[in-house]
Amino acid sequence: MERYILFADTVSAWFGKVFAWCVMLMTLGIGYEVVARYFFHAPTPWAFDFGYMMYGTMFMMAGAYTLSREGHVRGDFVYRLWTPRTQARVEFVLYFLFFFPGVLALIFSGWRYASRSWSYWEVSSNSPAGIPIYQLKSIIVVAGVLLFIQGIAQVMRCIIAMRDNEWPKPASDVEEMEKILQEQGGGALEHSAEAIDVVLPSDNQNGGRRP
Amino acid sequence: MTDPQVAILMLGLFIFIIMLGFPIAFTLMAMGIGFGYYAYFDAGRMWRPYERAVEQGADSWTLFETWISGFFNNRIFDLFVNQTYSVMANDVLTAIPLFLFMGYVIERANIVDRLFSTLSIAARRLPGSMAVAALITCALFATATGIVGAVVTLMGLLAFPAMLKARYDERFASGVICAGGTLGILIPPSIMLIVYAASSGTSIVRLYAGALIPGFMLAGLYLVYIIVRATLNPSLAPKADLSESEGITRGQLAWMLLTSFFPLAVLILAVLGAILFGLATPSEAAAIGALGGLVLAFAYRAMTWKRLQESVYLSVRTTAMVCWLFVGSWTFASVFSYLGGEHVVRDFVVGMDLTPLQFLLLAQLIIFLLGWPLEWSEIIIIFVPIFLPLLPLFNVDPLFFGILIALNLQTSFLTPPMAMSAYYLKGIAPPHVRLTQIFAGSLPYVAMVFLSMILVYNIPGLVYWLPEMIYGR
Repeated sequence: MERYILFADTVSAWFGKVFAWCVMLMTLGIGYEVVARYFFHAPTPWAFDFGYMMYGTMFMMAGAYTLSREGHVRGDFVYRLWTPRTQARVEFVLYFLFFFPGVLALIFSGWRYASRSWSYWEVSSNSPAGIPIYQLKSIIVVAGVLLFIQGIAQVMRCIIAMRDNEWPKPASDVEEMEKILQEQGGGALEHSAEAIDVVLPSDNQNGGRRP
Repeated sequence: MTDPQVAILMLGLFIFIIMLGFPIAFTLMAMGIGFGYYAYFDAGRMWRPYERAVEQGADSWTLFETWISGFFNNRIFDLFVNQTYSVMANDVLTAIPLFLFMGYVIERANIVDRLFSTLSIAARRLPGSMAVAALITCALFATATGIVGAVVTLMGLLAFPAMLKARYDERFASGVICAGGTLGILIPPSIMLIVYAASSGTSIVRLYAGALIPGFMLAGLYLVYIIVRATLNPSLAPKADLSESEGITRGQLAWMLLTSFFPLAVLILAVLGAILFGLATPSEAAAIGALGGLVLAFAYRAMTWKRLQESVYLSVRTTAMVCWLFVGSWTFASVFSYLGGEHVVRDFVVGMDLTPLQFLLLAQLIIFLLGWPLEWSEIIIIFVPIFLPLLPLFNVDPLFFGILIALNLQTSFLTPPMAMSAYYLKGIAPPHVRLTQIFAGSLPYVAMVFLSMILVYNIPGLVYWLPEMIYGR
């Protein structure tokens, strides 16, 4: 069970992180469009479609990654008062009622939707450039499959938590700055490579520049 | 049970499941599909092929296959996948990952400490100088990053101990940081307004223009409050020790401001100006902002490969969190309104026979209360759409309503039991600072949020002046 969880986490993280770089491509692509429009008077016909494609691809592919790192919001004001065992029991049931039906629908109806699009090589109607969008529609299926794989791992996490009355630790990963700082306190600011370096107000003698 | 009753059941069950703490995006998806299956159920579509197969005397495998395909022959599946795709191809939401990326890059650009130390020197002769510096740092940094938690935590580690060391009152010092950090979700370019624009179909550009004056007004109110309190009661904020900064000349100070305050301010103004004056769409401006953030981070020698990776991964996770909520909620909302839930809500509200003012008060009160347990993303994506169809009944403009909500949601970070800002500060504050002190310190700011809402209601020009000047009516 632990091995499957590790496997699912790795797969989700791999896809999530690889497609996360879409944000960089998007920044560069859209940035290029602005430069091309104002400095070369040559707006591109593809930047608009490129933008939403990168955005759509990245957030769909990161769904499972976000799930594996507990990144999806929950209204946890009651939830967090429970013991891990109770949390796991409730969640175990809810995964079958409220997770898998939706994800399966995503896979199967996404399949029908995408294959219709592939069958006539659908292109975007936003510009005359004929930018294909069938690959974007296929993303729905892939995202669904990734979520399904990760969902099984989450159910296994629930089983482990029911047994041990303690949630298994997620793989270490990038965390929000506030979370790192909350856990490690101010020391993280001064020592860790992950956080920022500090200019203390007492360093002001040298004009705010670091010695 | 009639359809509208089912719709109300759907909403009730949804709220119950939220309370159990299951990830909201998937709850919405599954409930949308479950109730949608009922709503769009068409016995003919399901059974006709099967009956035809029976008449033709097909074998049992074919019968089974026909039954299965009949079972899944329900329009909800088309609706669901169409809604999913329309979230993926939405050109307003495109700006979200870009603004997040810009925020995470700037967050890691080593800027907040410089900013605070420079500003506290620049403001040293004002009453409550460090609090003033902390507020301006918070507001500027929060506007650039839009990440409330990071702002409050960072400032809690940098400015808060400095203020306590200067013998500032704990309540006074903590209120400044909590309230200042929260401004990031209000002052444009803020992600919350993009999300509201996508939920309500309001123009994002007009929303930004409309939020600008109320946002600065609220920040201004905070600033006036700090200075007045510090003047009336100097024991709250003892005068700064001028000896420490004695050796600094005007030239040095100007250089410090030039290297810390101005780059960030210019970046924000450039992004905002490009959007407001129609030079670029919000997504384009956000991309330029992200590039600018990268340049800034390189200039401060803070950008390493590792930090770039971190910024990218964190942006994708936060984008996924927000946008999967949209995937769920658009399906949920269309099923809810197909079942007639909207009419039930409307008839109910019409039956209450409210004046527009009473309606606004009620709506804002509900949003205020929802802000206690929930976060802004859930409130705007899931609950605000319930109010939107009611607005025409009372002649309320969605733009105006959105600005009021944006102001109102400031309080959701400051009011217990789920005051995120207060908890972030408590998490890193010295142990002798109690949570109740932080709450007490934030309370005056909640009052100022209400004051600003009253001002905006009575002087709608605060919202409309800028958008009407730039874009006409």
